[in-house]
Amino acid sequence: MKRSIKNLTTALAAGAGVALALAACSSGPTADDPVTLEFWGWVPGLEEAVAQWNEENPEIQVDFFRMTGDDGDTIPASIDAGTAPDIVQMSVHSIPGHVVNNRLIDIAEHAEDWGDRFTESTWASVSFDGGIYAIPQDSGPSGMMYRQDIFDEHGIEVPTTWEEYLEAARTLKEADPDLHIAQFSPNETGHWLQTVWQNSGTWNGIEDDAWTVNVADQQSQDVAELWQTLLDEDLFLTVEMWTPEFWAEVNDGRIATINYAAWFPVLLEESAESTSGNWRVAPTPNFEGQDSAGDTGGSVNVVPTGTEDVEHAVAFIEWLNTSEDGLDHLISNGGIFPAAVDGLEHPALLTEREFFGGQVINEVFADAAVKVPATWVDGPTYDLIQDRLKDQFARVANGDQTFSEALDTVHDQAVADLRDMGLSVAE
Amino acid sequence: MSTATLPSARSRRRGIRGAGGGWAPYVFLTPFVVLFLVFLVAPIITALYTSLFTVERSGLGFGNENASIFVGLENYRRALSNQGFVASFGRVLLFGVVQVPIMLALATGLALLFDSAVVRWKRFFQLAVFIPYAVPTVVAALLWGFLYQPRVSPLVSGLEAIGLDIAFLAPGTVLWSIANVTTWSVTGVNMIIIFAALQTVPRDIYEAARIDGARELRVALQIKLPMVLPAIFLTLLFSIIGTLQLFNEPMTLRSITSNVTGDFTPNMAVFSTTTLGGNLNLGSAMAILLGLVTFALSILVSVLSNRRKGGS
Repeated sequence: MKRSIKNLTTALAAGAGVALALAACSSGPTADDPVTLEFWGWVPGLEEAVAQWNEENPEIQVDFFRMTGDDGDTIPASIDAGTAPDIVQMSVHSIPGHVVNNRLIDIAEHAEDWGDRFTESTWASVSFDGGIYAIPQDSGPSGMMYRQDIFDEHGIEVPTTWEEYLEAARTLKEADPDLHIAQFSPNETGHWLQTVWQNSGTWNGIEDDAWTVNVADQQSQDVAELWQTLLDEDLFLTVEMWTPEFWAEVNDGRIATINYAAWFPVLLEESAESTSGNWRVAPTPNFEGQDSAGDTGGSVNVVPTGTEDVEHAVAFIEWLNTSEDGLDHLISNGGIFPAAVDGLEHPALLTEREFFGGQVINEVFADAAVKVPATWVDGPTYDLIQDRLKDQFARVANGDQTFSEALDTVHDQAVADLRDMGLSVAE
Repeated sequence: MSTATLPSARSRRRGIRGAGGGWAPYVFLTPFVVLFLVFLVAPIITALYTSLFTVERSGLGFGNENASIFVGLENYRRALSNQGFVASFGRVLLFGVVQVPIMLALATGLALLFDSAVVRWKRFFQLAVFIPYAVPTVVAALLWGFLYQPRVSPLVSGLEAIGLDIAFLAPGTVLWSIANVTTWSVTGVNMIIIFAALQTVPRDIYEAARIDGARELRVALQIKLPMVLPAIFLTLLFSIIGTLQLFNEPMTLRSITSNVTGDFTPNMAVFSTTTLGGNLNLGSAMAILLGLVTFALSILVSVLSNRRKGGS
């Protein structure tokens, strides 16, 4: 009954690729006969970065397209049709999903020695099974934003461990029943992910030639235990993040800490103006006996399948993400938190922030960035795991089950999802 | 331009006069047929075809050929054994059984009201009832989403002030909060359809009834209502299709409450399988199943409607 069919588009694309490669072989690019690379990205100020590159590299011209809205959704189809750009910015979490569909070029032969240019955790997230499928651009190491005025008012020391954090939460709750240490948003899995990551955990892993599903491992169970306590003792305020309701709670001072990624402070500044000057940032509290930080993952630059001039595409990505000029554009104009270690000391990153009482908050995040464990492995079903966690966490919020039970359900679903794709799962 | 169109106009005239039809009708039909084939028939055939295959992978899936292999109805078996997907049909059917009759009763009632002599400023009120239909469903869901959120909603605080503590986004109520958005959106357009049907009823029937002593209410219920029943069946058909295709409203509300799951409605389940899960083959099978259920229910309503017509 089984019958293999040839994928016509792949064959056509391959044929076209060979023809173009032959044409390109005649001579290398020159200023008179430049190669043109198409680049899709969304970081603010990339136009200026590309303009500088084009001026300095007349033989390799980059054509920039700013991605907005749903542009990212068109990428998979355009790669499959052979019409994709040569360089694309995307979320680090989507890499394996694209790799199992043959949508990304392994650039290890160009970039395998670049590991020490990036933080350990960001480099680990682009390396799979000996291949390197992307170059890290930004990342989201965690820090604890907290209301200093509220802490002072109730005589609370900044907690450095999760145990102390629980104590602080209880003190706040006792002083004022409307005051919560943090919010719990079933729809926002970032907090969960970063805490599992901080605890040296992951959702997926690779064991020989099979995927592992680690959603319900001990590292996650530790977080489940912590969160269950926060929920059971009513220390969490359950409210969906990014909703008007959430920002109303923040502005009303009913949430004392937001433990989140380096990209969050700017959003807090925009949406909680009324609380300006009251916030500070401290390192994320630690699990007993550890000194680590969490991360939500960031974005990367990839070279999609079908790109002919991989060498020059990689050269541009290298310049953008690791050179002084490139990092300057990304940090000064783009406002990103860099994945490159050189970027962590960039003056534009280490500025005083009025909203945070003049604190140089990125010092905290830069310290955190190098403390993120290099344990996280994204799997091909990352998006589905995230969606399934949301659904199960909703039931936790409604009191229908515990975090631990939610993890067991998602574990089974994640195994089934991988097998449905025809992939091997080691258990 | 004119020289080019003249011969075709002439040939058309010949065609009408002559026994055999010329090619002109086909020229006029072409735009429809092409669009119909390209945007309806071709996607259905593609989905049917895709649903019979699966991508062959092994191990980690890295560096595989990713060839498609024929698996027959395997994707349909998987879709039907997917509890979330099957449950989503139950959810929209429950939604439809409650929301559609309420909405149609409202639409019919309003149409009869506007058709009677008792309403003043008829045009204004008709427009007022119709306007929500002009609001895109995503915007409607966002708007109502604001009104459902406890801390920011004047609606919730207003109800609290009179002692009603309603959680619009709780697991048990969120389905009906969505039904409310849908009802708000589509009552107007169904009212217009039924109202238009009322306008075609010959006025002398009413006159005869009144001479026989029938009051306004009796005219409405015993004359007008039976006369516009075909129009009501039509709106029923559209509503059933709309209910099964429910997507925008729950998807928008999902961003403010996790009590709307990723597979809340069949369409959302298809979306999550294809977009988040990247499984085009399984998603196609699910879409075909949704299409079949919609088709079957539409046929059922049409048959009922025709039987009714035959009986009267």
